[in-house]
Amino acid sequence: MKLKVYADRLSQPVRAVIIFCEVNGIEYEEIKVDLANREHLTPEFSEINPMQQLPAIVHGTFKLFESHAILIYLASSFPGVADHWYPDDVYKRSKIHSVLDWHHSNLRRGPITIVQNSILAPVFRRPLNPEAVAEGEKILSAALSKIESFWLDDNRPFLLGENQPSIADLSLVCDIMQVKLVGETDWNRLLGPYKKVQQWIENTRNATNPHFDELHKVLKELKEKLQN
Amino acid sequence: MSQPCRAVIIFCKVNGIDYEEIKVHISKGQHLTPEFAEINPMKQLPAIADGRFKLFESHAILIYLACAFPGVADHWYPADVFKRSKIHSVLDWHHSNLRRGAAPYVFNTTIAPILGRPLNPQVAAEAEIILSSSLSKLESFWLKGNGRFLLGGNQPSIADLSLVCELMQLEVLDEKDRTRLLGPHKKVQQWIENTRNATSPHFDEVHRVIMLAKERQQHQRLKAAKNEGGSNMKRPLVSRM
Repeated sequence: MKLKVYADRLSQPVRAVIIFCEVNGIEYEEIKVDLANREHLTPEFSEINPMQQLPAIVHGTFKLFESHAILIYLASSFPGVADHWYPDDVYKRSKIHSVLDWHHSNLRRGPITIVQNSILAPVFRRPLNPEAVAEGEKILSAALSKIESFWLDDNRPFLLGENQPSIADLSLVCDIMQVKLVGETDWNRLLGPYKKVQQWIENTRNATNPHFDELHKVLKELKEKLQN
Repeated sequence: MSQPCRAVIIFCKVNGIDYEEIKVHISKGQHLTPEFAEINPMKQLPAIADGRFKLFESHAILIYLACAFPGVADHWYPADVFKRSKIHSVLDWHHSNLRRGAAPYVFNTTIAPILGRPLNPQVAAEAEIILSSSLSKLESFWLKGNGRFLLGGNQPSIADLSLVCELMQLEVLDEKDRTRLLGPHKKVQQWIENTRNATSPHFDEVHRVIMLAKERQQHQRLKAAKNEGGSNMKRPLVSRM
């Protein structure tokens, strides 16, 4: 009963799920669903996820979508996943739920609005939309500001004052990494004011390497392809 | 008036969880005070404080209450990892779908003036598309099968409470808009009723504020319609002779 992960590594939440599997030695089969070729809109994939989104998993007869739900399921169902990813302690766990929920309505819409209206617009057959990009940058900055001032403790490497990463660190950092697609200059401009955030991204990367770099290679490759 | 606040309060009442309700009037900007920012720096409701433990985001709160208080029946947040995962899935879907559609639609067609803000028909139009699509997905997928509740369940979970409280906000809409949006979705309508019955009498008690707002809105619409009709009659008939 091998886990199947329906994936396109271009998708931030897909990367979070795959990095989690790799880091925790969870055996899985990656089934590519090409977003640029609209494979997520096929009737076959709708059988897996009627919302036509990635990631989705199938584990035996059990199907599941929404990356936070998937990460929690994997942390709870596979032996050998260290407690810090999704702690048993009800207080720590609740705080993780809190930041994951906050993410949906705050951070998540930032990077995706920026990249889909600029560099990824042609890939998804959309027009460039500088107004939407500006809106996305505002959303991102507001979210980064809250991470810098509230979610990250002064002296601890990960969210919520923790010394080790949780599924929340993985989910949020993978989302922010999408901004790499717009290039180093813009990345530095957008992330520049937030020193704790930059350090936290590095901490999460180090805690999950080499898988983090491996999964994020797709962004470098795509950027080069689109620039040529 | 806040949908997620109602879900948390109904949950507490139904499960006999002792609590103190501290009113934070959004209409008076009380959520923007430095005092409240100490409780929740995101300046949103609901938020809870249980001893020294503070928490915000209603789904996180509902899960915490289900886990931390004894006597909460399993169906609200089952221990079974498969059932629980499906609840997480619909709660997550809710953020980017039903909530993202319903809340701005109701705000920008009806509620904004109550909070001294302008209505925004463009935002309302975009939100309506998301709301309609979400209602369709509820009807065809989340309420698939013969269960009385989401995910084929025969008893309610925190997901039912959260999503139904969101939909109750539609009560303040003009009746014709509400009928247009909800009318095609028979299972959704039945499910709202099922959730209401399963959490009676607390559901109606907690929703009194919305029903009062609904009455006020209807009254204002009638008044506006009468004034329009009245002024037409008062326009002088100009003789053509």
